[in-house]
Amino acid sequence: MADTKDFKMQELHTPSAFEGALWACLGIKGADTIFHSPPGCYINQHVNALVNDWTCELYSTNLSYAHIMQGAEDRMESTLKKIAAKKPGAIMIVTAPTVEVTRDDVEGVVKKVGSRDTLIIHPPIGGSLVEGKEAAFIKLLDLVDANVEKIPKSVNIIGPTFSTFNWRADVYELTRMLAGIGVTVNCVYTAGATIEQIKNAARAELNLCIYPFDSGMGVAREMEKRFGIPCKADIIPIGFGNSAAWLESVAAFFKIDAKKYLKECMANAFEFISSNMVFTVTFEMTAALSLENHNTYAVGISEFLNKEVGVSIVMAALSNPEAGSRIKKLCDNVLINATIEEKRDKFVETGPMVIYGNFYDKKVSMDAGFKNFIFSDIPTIGYLSSENCPFMGFMGAKYLVEGLVNEVYMGIFLETKGEMMGPISSGVVAWDMAAEQAMLKVGEMIPHFVRATALKKLHQESEKLAQERGTNVTVGIFREVSDKFTPTKFKAKFSQVFDDDTAPAPAIDAEDEEVPISSLTFTLSWDDAAKGMLELVPSPFRQAAVSGTEDYAREHGRSDVIGATVEEFRKELGM
Amino acid sequence: MPLKHYEHCCSTIQALASLGKIEGVIPLLHGPQPCSYQNQVGSMSCRPANLVTAGTLVNKSDVIFGGEAGLKQQVKNLYEKYHPRVIVIINTCIPQLIGEDIEGVIIELKQEIPDLKVSTCLTGFNYPRSMPLGSDAAWVAVIDTSEKQAKVPGSIGLIGRTGQDAGNLACLEMFFKKAEIPCFVFPTPHLDSMSSIVRAEKYYPIHITPWLTCRHLSEHFDGDVEFIEIPVGIQGTSNFLRAIAERQNSQKLHDLVDDEEKRVRPELEKIRARFAGEKVRMLMVDGPANEVSVGKIFAEFGAEVFVVPSMKNKFYQQEKKIMQERYGVTFIEEDFDLLGDIIDAVKPTAVSVEFQAQPECVSRLVPTFINMLYLCEYGYDYAIDLGTNFFKNMHRPVYETWQGLMKKYGG
Repeated sequence: MADTKDFKMQELHTPSAFEGALWACLGIKGADTIFHSPPGCYINQHVNALVNDWTCELYSTNLSYAHIMQGAEDRMESTLKKIAAKKPGAIMIVTAPTVEVTRDDVEGVVKKVGSRDTLIIHPPIGGSLVEGKEAAFIKLLDLVDANVEKIPKSVNIIGPTFSTFNWRADVYELTRMLAGIGVTVNCVYTAGATIEQIKNAARAELNLCIYPFDSGMGVAREMEKRFGIPCKADIIPIGFGNSAAWLESVAAFFKIDAKKYLKECMANAFEFISSNMVFTVTFEMTAALSLENHNTYAVGISEFLNKEVGVSIVMAALSNPEAGSRIKKLCDNVLINATIEEKRDKFVETGPMVIYGNFYDKKVSMDAGFKNFIFSDIPTIGYLSSENCPFMGFMGAKYLVEGLVNEVYMGIFLETKGEMMGPISSGVVAWDMAAEQAMLKVGEMIPHFVRATALKKLHQESEKLAQERGTNVTVGIFREVSDKFTPTKFKAKFSQVFDDDTAPAPAIDAEDEEVPISSLTFTLSWDDAAKGMLELVPSPFRQAAVSGTEDYAREHGRSDVIGATVEEFRKELGM
Repeated sequence: MPLKHYEHCCSTIQALASLGKIEGVIPLLHGPQPCSYQNQVGSMSCRPANLVTAGTLVNKSDVIFGGEAGLKQQVKNLYEKYHPRVIVIINTCIPQLIGEDIEGVIIELKQEIPDLKVSTCLTGFNYPRSMPLGSDAAWVAVIDTSEKQAKVPGSIGLIGRTGQDAGNLACLEMFFKKAEIPCFVFPTPHLDSMSSIVRAEKYYPIHITPWLTCRHLSEHFDGDVEFIEIPVGIQGTSNFLRAIAERQNSQKLHDLVDDEEKRVRPELEKIRARFAGEKVRMLMVDGPANEVSVGKIFAEFGAEVFVVPSMKNKFYQQEKKIMQERYGVTFIEEDFDLLGDIIDAVKPTAVSVEFQAQPECVSRLVPTFINMLYLCEYGYDYAIDLGTNFFKNMHRPVYETWQGLMKKYGG
């Protein structure tokens, strides 16, 4: 049997050149896209695109095995004719991997049908998302009219495509800011643009590549070559300082005096960061960024959070080595193209208070006990976004901070609370000295903004458990409780406090170590069926699964856990 | 007359929050709706459980005709629903203003519900400018419900500050456990263990706030009270423990202190070297009395410390003298209009203030610590942790970034 240890899992959360090409095309209004593909490929691409964006028109040639084997030009021809009959502003044909294997003569079909403004994009098999996007971007330049008059003080925003996380809000905010200094956006290349705007892209005087670590740099260089449009991409407009610098740089290009506008924006920003809930929370906050499909966000967010609001970036996982080098200046743990397992281990090791990432990050971190998460990347599996919550620009900087504070502060805050009207007295319980000392040490590891109440909660929960077991509060009990109830996730740090012989604590760090069901700590009664289902849970997550299931049972008014309870909880988690 | 008031909240919240941390006790807020709302919301951040405030919602007719009947009924309602051992009526400004006969209500209730103990404390007007004394008043009310018990020979009692100390005094308590000196601490998370404080032969307050509590214990339950000093920082903790070791004639406790000093001294020296290099000027303004205690820790590190005290009781006077003589700490006891006036005068490296003062300080780009978040500050390890992480937690580079941004764009 083949050794599977070296099998890397990152492909699961990394889209390919095919997605890149399709996403670059799908966002253009008035143009139709045909995916020359089997129906399975097509429906997956269509559905997954609609998870992240509002609406798009995508058509398919619906190829069967026979079509592929015998040549699918006729299917292409018939589909193209139907689409051409609708008279769209342009037609983009993206070929699927199967077609790329058999190398259909799509160009010949287009020539035969004679449809105008029809582009063919062949994403390379094994190519990256960026390569797919750039291939489509550059192909689209064939539609751009070079002989147009320039619009004074106008720019193109280069880079946003469908399924770029939060592109719509970023574009909206940057457009608002540019308008504030009298600069208009000629075309967003490509998401949300009309086909007419794409065709008139050469009317802009300046290109602004807003996601330079992800996509758009190739086409920007090409546009400079073909149409003489210079490009700015050196400043990522994330954070207050960089948003101001970005706008100032655009203003300087057009010789616009932006001082008054920038002063107003920065005065507002300063008032915001002076408020009670910003530095009090952010100064003791740690964050992990897992943004392989949004390297630009990884760079911009990490620099902003660290430099302007004092958040410590404990880990960054991304796919662009150049972006990684930049983040290394402020973060010791930078992973490039890490597997999901590697990322999960790093989450546990660094214990961030909040994680920015995609669906997989949310899932693995949640399984490992992390509660505070901010979606910032694809795949999302399901996420609704609009113009409202940008990460870029002045509004984006504010949203990043308010999102962080509101998610984490209230999350941690509520974790430290007991019941609205709980039991009035549970009686006095004695503490072993070692447990008291452990509590002091754990206290030092909890951020000040919740330390006092968090300790109170740990104290109460320890006594509750000790009462249930009819013992003093031992260091073992305190360890169990701190593992379960300490706000967010500080297990990595806790290991410094507890000696190895203070078990029974879950062996979360020992990934490969088998954790027998019998070694787990149960606070409710579990029947055999329920315990048996724990065998299906990977060892490192078993204790967390017990805790989560018991919480679920309590929330549903149950005093025990049966097989059906585990099943319900599993379904609720979408597993 | 100052233009603003920089304390965290009303003494009523302090009483409510402190009592809210003691199992077996239900605080009942006797006051009008705005008082209930504000104190309910304001105390939420520091109450661990039983998050809903029971109150009487005194209305206009109560003010005219008296709210005693409503109060009595609400005590009965609370008792029927939760069967607490003790209900403490927090008597706020309005009932004080109209001179309600709370004691009379309590006497009547004692006859009607013999199992229930009801006591009261005065907050609001009674401590218009010393929020932390809300705790002191609340503790007296709790002690009022205690019965006399036999003293434990050779025992001591440590009298803490707020409800936050309840369950968080292990850093001191463990020395006495190891030295085999019978020790009772107050407050604790449970009414039963709290009531045991009356068994101590001698009371040692560990903060400046519990002056009333100590006096009450001494007068009603016997036992001497001695304020040594607040056991914070390295020297403060050692002095406190050694003083008790001498009085208890405990070589074991002396030895423990020797060991601890040996352990933490190298860390302290590192911290002092860093503070000497950075020349820190700390302005400590009001707070839950930790402007004095945490101020003392900073002074030991070598910072130049300026303290605007939240109270001026007898224990404060003693601690102030210690801090002035030992570290040359400056105390600012005169009224001031705005915090900015003091910041301009002192030109601090960093300030420690209450939440509501933060916008004023950050907008001046003065590194700011929220004093309410620096509690349970007793013992050696707290000080070492505070000193080791002080510069990291101050985040001076962030302020410098903003200085640069505002200079460039802010005009």
